[in-house]
Amino acid sequence: MSVPDYMQCAEDHQTVLVVVQPVGIVPEDQFFKIYKRISSVSQVSIRDSQRLLYIRYRHHYLPENNEWGDFQTHRKVVGLISITTCASAKEWPQTAERFHAQKEVYSSTLYDSRLLVFGLQGDIAEQQRTDVAFYPSFEDCPDVEKRVDDFVESIFIVLESKRLDRATDKSGDKIPLLCVPFEKKDFVGLDTDSRHYKKRCQGRMRKHVGDLCLQAGMLQDALVHYHMAVELLRGVNDFLWLGAALEGLCSASVIFHYPGGTAGKTAGRKPSISQPADAGKRHRPGAQEVLIDPGALTANGISADTSTEIGRAKNCLSPEDIIEKYKEAISYYGKYKNAGVIELEACVKAVRVLAIQKRAREASEFLQNAVYINLGQLSEEEKIQRYSILSELYERIGFHRKSAFFKRVAAMQCVAPTIPEPGWRACYKLLLETLPGYSLSLDPKDFSKGTHRGWAAVQMRLLHELVYASRRMGNPALSVRHLSFLLQTMLDFLSDQEKKEVTQSLENYTSKCPGGMEVITLPDGLKLPPVAFTKLPISGVSCRPRGLRYVNTYSCRVLYSLQLRRVDTENTYFQWVQGDVCEVQLMVYNPMPYELRVENMGLLTSGVEFESLPAALSLPAESGLYPVTLVGVPRTAGNITVTGYHTSVFGVTSDCLLEGLSSVKTSGSLVEVIPSLPRLQLSTSLPRSAHTSQPTSKEELSSSVSVQLFNGETQQLTLTLENIGSEDIESLELTSKIVSTKEKVFGEFLSWELEDALSRLPLKSGQAVTLTVNIKVKLDFSGQESLLQDLNDDGLSVTGLPISSPLRQLLKPRPENKTFGSESGKAEYSHIKTLEAVLNFKYSGGAGKVEGYHRELSLGVHVDVEPSVFFTRVNTLPATSTRQCHLLLDIFNPTEHELSVSAENNQDLVLHASECQR
Amino acid sequence: MAVCIAVIAKENYPLYIRSVPTQNELKFHYTVHTSLDVVEEKISAVGKSLGDQRELYLGLLYPTEDYKVYGYVTNSKVKFVIVVDSSNTSLRDNEIRSMFRKLHNSFTDVMCNPFHSPGNTIQSKAFDGIVSGMMVQTASTV
Repeated sequence: MSVPDYMQCAEDHQTVLVVVQPVGIVPEDQFFKIYKRISSVSQVSIRDSQRLLYIRYRHHYLPENNEWGDFQTHRKVVGLISITTCASAKEWPQTAERFHAQKEVYSSTLYDSRLLVFGLQGDIAEQQRTDVAFYPSFEDCPDVEKRVDDFVESIFIVLESKRLDRATDKSGDKIPLLCVPFEKKDFVGLDTDSRHYKKRCQGRMRKHVGDLCLQAGMLQDALVHYHMAVELLRGVNDFLWLGAALEGLCSASVIFHYPGGTAGKTAGRKPSISQPADAGKRHRPGAQEVLIDPGALTANGISADTSTEIGRAKNCLSPEDIIEKYKEAISYYGKYKNAGVIELEACVKAVRVLAIQKRAREASEFLQNAVYINLGQLSEEEKIQRYSILSELYERIGFHRKSAFFKRVAAMQCVAPTIPEPGWRACYKLLLETLPGYSLSLDPKDFSKGTHRGWAAVQMRLLHELVYASRRMGNPALSVRHLSFLLQTMLDFLSDQEKKEVTQSLENYTSKCPGGMEVITLPDGLKLPPVAFTKLPISGVSCRPRGLRYVNTYSCRVLYSLQLRRVDTENTYFQWVQGDVCEVQLMVYNPMPYELRVENMGLLTSGVEFESLPAALSLPAESGLYPVTLVGVPRTAGNITVTGYHTSVFGVTSDCLLEGLSSVKTSGSLVEVIPSLPRLQLSTSLPRSAHTSQPTSKEELSSSVSVQLFNGETQQLTLTLENIGSEDIESLELTSKIVSTKEKVFGEFLSWELEDALSRLPLKSGQAVTLTVNIKVKLDFSGQESLLQDLNDDGLSVTGLPISSPLRQLLKPRPENKTFGSESGKAEYSHIKTLEAVLNFKYSGGAGKVEGYHRELSLGVHVDVEPSVFFTRVNTLPATSTRQCHLLLDIFNPTEHELSVSAENNQDLVLHASECQR
Repeated sequence: MAVCIAVIAKENYPLYIRSVPTQNELKFHYTVHTSLDVVEEKISAVGKSLGDQRELYLGLLYPTEDYKVYGYVTNSKVKFVIVVDSSNTSLRDNEIRSMFRKLHNSFTDVMCNPFHSPGNTIQSKAFDGIVSGMMVQTASTV
């Protein structure tokens, strides 16, 4: 006996074994259909008694195991049902012959047999035979169950007669010695007349009768017989059979205590009617152990005799005792090398009982023992079965990790190098089942929250194995998925070397089968959600959409971003223009120790139609934060939510949603797309300013110009506005604002004539319009701030006169000053003052104008004002006429040039550089 | 003495694990991982009967062919697991206990470090030193 039945459980001891086998050629699916119908008759209540007969069906049973039938009768094949097809009467004799040959195999133990013939019609089928049933086809066999019922009943009659036969011939005749196959040669030449031998025979027979009683549904009798057997066998140190008697005792007690069964099958057995539920209450502590003579019992299970009631409660083991006795039995079995299978099965049965009792730790000890039972050379298949069942049992007692461990071992066994045809599919399936034990889920969402916590080393190993198994299974898509998962979730735990290896193999796989974002569904219904490489590259910090436009200044094309209008609602709000290129900036970094190529990186949006313009980038190894600008064009107006981005790394495309990223705060930004608007390009006659837009200014300047003027000077600025958009410009407005207000500015700083430009509207695409803006600088000419106040009473005011400066070069004010001005005053005269203003163009057109939108374009004007003349002192002198007076002005020239001052009465005065005249 | 020492968080993920034959680290990962089953079982069994007053030392979790696995659970359900070589028969229960106590004290020190955020893996030189001290002896005796 070499093949253990790992599915055995304690209550199997009360079943009778029936083998169902096909004879000749029977289609497998048909056979199992019939087999299923037959095995639905798993318990039969016997007429005229309250007993139940339980039947265990097997479609495969080793005759070798059958030889142990005397040892434990539930191992004995007592019934045989053969299923065969027979097309014509001619084939019938051959079929019958085959059936008989099959019966021969189990002939030593068989009580009865049946043959079910399908397909035969005619004379032979008309015959009424008890052992053969004819059915026209596999579909047309309504009374199979009934047949089996009758068959079981006939088995019961044989069983009952055997039981009575064995139970009654107590001491009269010589009792034959029952033995297990390997014992046979040991007993050759033994003195059969010794007391020792007789007792052994008696003990073994008692145990055998106990088995029969148990099978025949007489639990209490069985208990009594087992108890007697234990006593007898203990006396003669017949350990193997003592173990069996003890196990029988345990089985009977388990059946009594746990009518629901210990196998944990969903189709539990019906509660047995022969077991009074209140039996336990009858137990009287301290009562003498009364062993009831089984002869006193009637054939029916329940006798009116009260003494049996006492015996019932007493003979049955308590739950604790069951385990003790199991331990004892197993230790006895352990003495015999050849009884390894019996020992192993006993362990398994005990574990199932312990699982019901919720004594996991003791169960684990039994299992641990079972692991060490050496059954000699096992085939690979048996090893797999053994590990799987260990795993299942561990699972049952709540040791999920241990269970996963053994399942993994079983999986590895499926593909052991010694197996000629490795079962990668089975291996993969078993590996998948281990996932919960390692608290690993294949959904990357479960890993998005914070750092990963778990047994990374173990989990990584498992994932590697999954990858390998799925590859060998010939499913590259699966291995790509698993590998991506490994890379995504275990990135922090991979060493640089491993990262390299993993990515290399991933690239190898994807070259054959590109990874995608679709959910992979396995044949058994498990869904593998897509894995997005949110960590490759890791995006972080900010992700904000921006409006965008082009501005051209002196043929150098510069990209400027411009927010069209920013509305301060509760969340930041952006607007894009339909048909215009717009951009989103993303900060990313590469955590890998080598260069990372990201291809096809684009925006994921929901809402209106959006054309994403993918970009490819290459990130250096372990780069810092790296800004990436993703661009796209909205095609229709409406609302767009930027939900994420998609990338293609190592051949795996992934969609990364912002809400899933722990490093990004916002979950998608809402952008309003407004109808298309025209676009203006601005060029000026003055050089671009080196000054960038002032930090204080609220608007972003699209461009700025700078110019240097003397105080009082006027300069013309020519602006060319070109429509570079596709829409016509229908309206144009121009406003200006002086930014720096430190200086007092007299008159209009910036002035323009817009009418000419306006008259040319609407401006078609590609057309340009020029606009002249006068820059007039009129600052305070007074040398001292208090100067004017002195004269305020006289009602006089001082204003600068237009001066045209011949030179346009940078002038450095001289520090030396011949005037009487105080030292502090000197610095003030030579001070260059700065004026800044912003020219704002508001324009609109096309569909956007209808909606009330406009674009703004602003030009910063930066003017450095050189001092020209200063009136350092003002005095009045009485003139000849009383109505007039002379105005005396001290004029100071701080420049390096000669300058002439002209008054209205054409009095010219020439001032040389740094001169002061009166 | 010990061939592998592991600290496992309340939520059963490893905070610290080190083993002496580094080439076969994964094996110890498996050993310690599966031992958690027994630890949990023991805790749940004790928790029912005794409440708070329980012995921190769990004793031998399970023997394998080559190793013996011992367990210890702090009151905050942090688990310590020590794996010792089965061949090392001289090691007595008391010594294992004292190893656990030392480990616990050192772990407490780590937790007292204001810069350590509980729940993260342990990166402490002092703790490393204590662990090495328990493991180094193997190298000298074997």
